[in-house]
Amino acid sequence: MVDLTAIQGAGIGLRSQHYAHILTHQPAIPWLEALSDNYLGGGLPLHHLEQIRAHYPMTLHGVSLSLGSADPLNMDYLTRLKQLADRIEPVHVSDHLAWVSVNGHYFNDLAPLPYTESVLKYVANRIAQVQDFLGRRILIENLSPYLQFRHNSLTEWEFLATLLVEADCDLLLDINNVYVNATNHGFNPLDYLEAIPRDRVKEIHLAGYEEQDNFLFDTHGYPVQSGVWQLYQHALQRFGPIPTLIEWDTDIPSFDVLMAEAQQAETYLCQHHRPN
Amino acid sequence: MSTPPPELIELQGLFYDAIATKDPYSIQQLKPQMRSTDNLSFEQGLSAYQGSVVGKLVRALEDIYPVCCRLVGTQFFTAMIRQYIRRNPSSSPDLGDYGEQLPDFIAQFKPAATLPYLPDVAHLEWHWHRVFNSADQPSLDLTALGKVPPKHWPDLVFQLPSNSVLLTSDYPVHRIWQVNQANTSHSETVELSEGGVNLFLWRDQYETRIDLPNASEWKLLQAFADRDRFGEICARLEDSSEDINVAAMLPQWVQRGWIRGFTLDR
Repeated sequence: MVDLTAIQGAGIGLRSQHYAHILTHQPAIPWLEALSDNYLGGGLPLHHLEQIRAHYPMTLHGVSLSLGSADPLNMDYLTRLKQLADRIEPVHVSDHLAWVSVNGHYFNDLAPLPYTESVLKYVANRIAQVQDFLGRRILIENLSPYLQFRHNSLTEWEFLATLLVEADCDLLLDINNVYVNATNHGFNPLDYLEAIPRDRVKEIHLAGYEEQDNFLFDTHGYPVQSGVWQLYQHALQRFGPIPTLIEWDTDIPSFDVLMAEAQQAETYLCQHHRPN
Repeated sequence: MSTPPPELIELQGLFYDAIATKDPYSIQQLKPQMRSTDNLSFEQGLSAYQGSVVGKLVRALEDIYPVCCRLVGTQFFTAMIRQYIRRNPSSSPDLGDYGEQLPDFIAQFKPAATLPYLPDVAHLEWHWHRVFNSADQPSLDLTALGKVPPKHWPDLVFQLPSNSVLLTSDYPVHRIWQVNQANTSHSETVELSEGGVNLFLWRDQYETRIDLPNASEWKLLQAFADRDRFGEICARLEDSSEDINVAAMLPQWVQRGWIRGFTLDR
């Protein structure tokens, strides 16, 4: 009997291309993550999601909370997200440490924040408001910014580590993003991992990046690269066998390709125990 | 409520304008505030965001308007929607809300004027997308309807499925839409001389439907869409020479799912 209220092992990001395969074959994948923004309406997409949810532990992952925006929280979006979460009863709800809107205009892309004390306090307060409204803790995910602010008074990992405590939320640690940032912005990714409080990491994301000129671009359209697998093993050593997700968003491959990636993650997960 | 730090408001405004509108002044103002590294310069970072933001909107419109894209070809479609994106910023967290004005934009887009039916196909695709993703709706509450006393029947206002839409075109757009689906063979052709159509788009449980109502049904659908009172509709039909049997149509429509609710307008 599968426990639908908890996640463990290596899961896969649910994409519409694989609905039929999952519903027909019910493959042995330990858990799935749905993109919440795709199910805020109704109809067939939500119907498929509910059918699949009945068989698999599930998390909800979004991109539009705009936690770091100077705009007020979008209560309509938040209400729809709460309705979805109440209906699906996911194990976790997550979004990014980012902003996607300003003055009512939306990027629909994840933009970076200045890492300063005043911004930290502001974002912590917003996360607390979101958690109060949803009636649950959320996970925030580190992103891969291509621009960084000169007047940052904190490093990304200092900002994140303090924010998790101030806002009393948990972390969805994207290992690919840490690797991409370390390469693009020139820092040691192990310093990043070392700064993150162990008890806050509840989920890990793995994805593939693309090489562009002399920097890395986080496209989520490739297999996980070897450097990211190596960093993942360091993360497992520090945080233990945290539930891990294979994320693939562009040029979606067949389900078998995703399964193979998840099995690779599972192999690493089995080699690690939760640290004391 | 938390108040954003003033520097955050200013920086986000500059950042947005530099990336979404590529405003030269904002780019100039933003540059000294950003840090470059050996691997990633300010210009590369800026360009990465500019490409990514437009790319997401392009993919959203390609998903919503696949038939329009097929009719004009990917290259033409991409060039056209890039112009649309420049003039129409996104104002919703949901990418599914983006692109509502594209049919009107296409109608004004001179290079597309050789395909006069294209704006109507775009209208059809937009509404298909909205109906497909709309919130689920229960069927008509027959018990509640049964409790309305006959003296109040003239005050009834019947409701069509929410997000259903009535579309009129001078072209056989439903056929153009049909033969240009991804899973349809290329051998089928549509003659524009087949003429115009009235279409009713709605959702039957999880099936999105394009129905072709006959003239009587169309008239009644329009009256319901305009939220006319049942008494007014009946009086109008009585005065006209048209032979529309509402008493026979209503139960059929309830069964079919075309009537989903009612209110009393007293």
